[in-house]
Amino acid sequence: MASVKPQRVETTSSQVLTDDAVSTMRPWNVLVWDDPVTPMKVVEVIFKKIFGYPNSKCTQLMMTVHNEGKAVVWSGQKDIAESYCVKLQVAGLQSTIEQP
Amino acid sequence: MSKNKMFIKRRDGRIEVRLNDTGRAILYESFGHVVAAERDPGHDWHRSLNSPIDPSSDDDNPLSMLTRQSQISTNAELAFMTRNEQFINEQEAWAWLTTMQISLRETAFANGILNDEKWGSANDSLRDQIQTLQAFLFELAECF
Repeated sequence: MASVKPQRVETTSSQVLTDDAVSTMRPWNVLVWDDPVTPMKVVEVIFKKIFGYPNSKCTQLMMTVHNEGKAVVWSGQKDIAESYCVKLQVAGLQSTIEQP
Repeated sequence: MSKNKMFIKRRDGRIEVRLNDTGRAILYESFGHVVAAERDPGHDWHRSLNSPIDPSSDDDNPLSMLTRQSQISTNAELAFMTRNEQFINEQEAWAWLTTMQISLRETAFANGILNDEKWGSANDSLRDQIQTLQAFLFELAECF
């Protein structure tokens, strides 16, 4: 996942973004982790229900989880990422958030 | 084709549950464990049900933790209450699917099945238990 580079606005020192501000602007990832027992079909259904993604994207994300051990299933604002992570955990998938 | 299916989606959107007494007993146990785990901090599954949301932080947002606890409980209790129904609606089916999925995952984890190798070496009784839940989940997922 590409991260947002620190941004500087023009030249005055007062306009230079602080580390905290840059950190706040970087997107948060929602990760889903593989486990050895969850049926693939169930993972697809959960992705579709929670994110509303098309079937092809649900299948692709599920295969990434299966083959690579994890997948980034959503990126964006922290509060929304947290909310999606909770929904995935409530649905029985292993999920966490991270700010890369 | 549908004769041997355990879950059948009807035209009106409801799902018909064709489980025998043994199947219903498995649901009773499966749903009951999740209800108990959410209520009892000493339950084997409780810690895992409260796993970190943001592992890089010492503490998760209390509101998110409360939301998770409340939603898992709501789903588990709805699933438990409707476990003997012959027809379930979509909301109830979602509660069944998510609660069964939690039960499946926690059963595996509590028995040390954390990877494919461990799953491959699980004993027959545990494999039967897990494969039964997988079969229920797979068929129910087909109804969505």
